[in-house]
Amino acid sequence: MPVDPALDGLLNRVAGGDRDALRALYLRQSTRLFGVAMIILRDRSAAADALQSSFVRIWQRAGQFDPNRGDASAWLGAIVRHAALDAVRRRGREIPSDDPNLGDAEVAPDALARLEASEAKARLHDCLQRLDGRNREGILLAFVHGLSHPQIAERLGEPLGTVKSWIRRGLLMLRTCMA
Amino acid sequence: MTDVRALSGEERDLLAGEYVLGTLDQGTSEQVEAAMARDPAWLASVDAWESHFAALIDVAPPEAPPPRLWTQVEAAIWPHAVPKAMRRGLTWWAWLLRGWALGATVAAIVLAVMLVRPPSVPSHNLVAVLVTDASQPAFLAQIDVRGGLQLAAATSAGGIRPTAAAGRSLQLWGLPPGTKTPRSLGVLPPNAGSFRVSAAQTQAVPDMVIMISQEPEGGSPTGLPTGPVMFYGRLVAAVK
Repeated sequence: MPVDPALDGLLNRVAGGDRDALRALYLRQSTRLFGVAMIILRDRSAAADALQSSFVRIWQRAGQFDPNRGDASAWLGAIVRHAALDAVRRRGREIPSDDPNLGDAEVAPDALARLEASEAKARLHDCLQRLDGRNREGILLAFVHGLSHPQIAERLGEPLGTVKSWIRRGLLMLRTCMA
Repeated sequence: MTDVRALSGEERDLLAGEYVLGTLDQGTSEQVEAAMARDPAWLASVDAWESHFAALIDVAPPEAPPPRLWTQVEAAIWPHAVPKAMRRGLTWWAWLLRGWALGATVAAIVLAVMLVRPPSVPSHNLVAVLVTDASQPAFLAQIDVRGGLQLAAATSAGGIRPTAAAGRSLQLWGLPPGTKTPRSLGVLPPNAGSFRVSAAQTQAVPDMVIMISQEPEGGSPTGLPTGPVMFYGRLVAAVK
């Protein structure tokens, strides 16, 4: 993740009602954030709606951003991810899990490789590597692509209950590893 | 649907993890958000998970949003305040230029001027560093002794070179100061590391804006940028 110290200052100004600061934030971050919405929604029009509602939310909630609780680009990314996740839930996640744009089995390893490329993120990468392969793939499909439990189960060819408990177990292992 | 208020600390933390992962149904997810708003323990759990996973957000490849989206954001936040020109969407690139994060661009230009001053370069030479909307340098444009423009792609440490999306082309534009209509300086060949524009076509002047937009394959059908401006910079004198 590109660390951009200017983002803290911009968010602070947005919280004070500074429109130019919101526009500057948009100029700096919209390409990155549109990518975050696209990888979940895979539809430019739906991703544009999600990004628009995210910027409305950023305008309204910038005052809640606390640099002591996390980094600004992660805060912005989380707002867009959750807006995109809300959108897929509303439309019933009708995107088939065998959508060729998901890139078949390449998706998860590719995500992992891109994570590895950034040294600062080595820890998450190492912790994910320690998980069982399918467990890791389930977590990546959920977090990166916004797939639901049933979609992940279908994709991995495993029963729904098994997938749910795998993912919970994976989360617990990650928490311990990241602590 | 789970009643999130009746959970133990351990169950709460797991549910917060599933919330961040995005696997909860809409009702449970909304319950978690409500719990975060009133209970610091929930907020702390969700924050911890968001920070564990933060690095994964950026495995998503960046992609330029539709060019008129900012106008729609403005209209959603300030429904009565959007200027007519913006509502028409005719001058979207003009506000883009005005609103650019100047500090970062200036810093990139200063850096480039420091980097590109071999002794043989005459002082009248002009350079522009073309940056992304995240202020990352992507191309270097230099006016050579004959007045032609030399464009060189910056390659990142990871070996990644700025490219157009599949089935799209990057097109180079010049916008002299005081004008409002960009002039095409050519369509970049796919994956080209460098590109030269003749002096006659460039007509370089100080403070001319050089930008690269993403267009349909082969270039803009209208003669003006139709896609998002991906890279942008301003020609300034390279100090000897």
